[in-house]
Amino acid sequence: MIGNILKDWKSRSNKYERLWLLAKIEFKLRYYENKLGLFWALLKPLMDIAIYYVAFKVILKTDVPAFASYLFIGLVFWIFFVESTTGTIQILNTKKYLYEYSNMNKLEIYISTLFSNSIGFLFNLSMFFLFYHFFESQSNPISYNNLWVIVLFINLFILSLGCSLMLSNLYIIAKDINQIWMVFISFLFFLSPIFYKLSSFKESLPALEYGNPMAGIIINSRRVMMDGVAPDFELLAFDFGYAIFFLLVGIILLNKLGAKAAEKL
Amino acid sequence: MESTIVIKARNISKTFHISEDSHNTVKHRLFNLFNPPRNKNLEAIKMMNFEINKGECVGLIGRNGCGKSTLIRLLAGVYPTDTGFVDINGTTLLMNLGVGMSHELTARENIYVSSSVLGMKIKDIDAIFDKIVSFAELEGFIDTKIKYFSSGMVARLGFSIAVNAGASIMFLDEIFAVGDMKFQEKAIKVFESSWIEGKTVVLVSHSMEVIKKYCGRTAYMKHGALAYFGETNKAVEMYLADNQ
Repeated sequence: MIGNILKDWKSRSNKYERLWLLAKIEFKLRYYENKLGLFWALLKPLMDIAIYYVAFKVILKTDVPAFASYLFIGLVFWIFFVESTTGTIQILNTKKYLYEYSNMNKLEIYISTLFSNSIGFLFNLSMFFLFYHFFESQSNPISYNNLWVIVLFINLFILSLGCSLMLSNLYIIAKDINQIWMVFISFLFFLSPIFYKLSSFKESLPALEYGNPMAGIIINSRRVMMDGVAPDFELLAFDFGYAIFFLLVGIILLNKLGAKAAEKL
Repeated sequence: MESTIVIKARNISKTFHISEDSHNTVKHRLFNLFNPPRNKNLEAIKMMNFEINKGECVGLIGRNGCGKSTLIRLLAGVYPTDTGFVDINGTTLLMNLGVGMSHELTARENIYVSSSVLGMKIKDIDAIFDKIVSFAELEGFIDTKIKYFSSGMVARLGFSIAVNAGASIMFLDEIFAVGDMKFQEKAIKVFESSWIEGKTVVLVSHSMEVIKKYCGRTAYMKHGALAYFGETNKAVEMYLADNQ
């Protein structure tokens, strides 16, 4: 009995090691391969911020206070979602070597890839934190409410994992899901309050903050990281509901379609 | 000592649906809503039951296309079965000319990833790392991506990982064709010294000498069905008679 428990613990600890190993290698492949290295991870949001800042602050003269930080935090969350969904549609194809010759659980492949994205997220979030508190002139002081970001990230992680599972398993039977998702995600981008002023977003698209889980997560991320207040709990509950629902659908698809990945792809 | 069952196959079968048209995009499916794809069914594995005990070396023989490779993929848990179930007690490794490796990774990374997938802990991999490299004769290429390797080098690396890390249940599909003669001799030596002892092995081969030498029991397959499973000599006789 005790032997079994120990054996189980031992085998599980190999699983954690493996997840971390795969995540590290994935991260290295993505960023260290090019000369700019980890700077790439930061460059993407910085470039996006520069573009939207010019478009909305300089040209359209938006009156959102601390607009650069407002964009920064929104984009940090959004980029994680895009990288974890668009970037993983073909994961069962590119990582086939991991499950083609053994009975490895496919879910581990997804989790390790999302862990790797999490390293980039953590890096960007730290950069935001430094930027907001040291360079932003209109910033609020550091608050213990900032810690809510951990809960929001867990929410984002589950949501991204669920979407990633759904998309990559649908890819097995519908290869053009990639193109469909690209259209959908650019639609979703404009339906998320990334560069809009929150009050005009709510006024023009009422209830969409409840209909679009990314909108809710981004709104709450600004509350906890910029305003230093607790998240909107109703919104948070909705977003966790979405995330868990997508994860369940994703796992069902993984069992139904993903089981046949080795023979279909 | 009572033998423990590591693979239990109950009423397993597998049929492949081979589609003549490629209905694998949303566009195709929409445009061909009333024109379903013509499927051809290929019964690769017909209903079968059997058990394999721990530490056994089981042979699997049959003519080309009789379903040997499909069967080991079902047993290794790579393909799902259509009916019944396969109970696998342990980690599995399917090996035909190497194990799964990513060509984007270096030899070092592949050794760590593959060994970890086979259930090893990092510190155990550290301990056997040098052994894997020297067995594969790849000193000096450890940090080279394997896409720059020759096919022989990739095969040797895969074989070396499988030999040294190994899963508890090994499915070996014509493995003695890897590398040059010197490497083959080394492979056979290590096969005899470490795999036959302690590991469960399912050996697929067209070489009756190999089968007779190592396998206690042998399964003979014909047209997707398990024609015989038992004494090796009898299975080999049936196979040879079929080849007449």
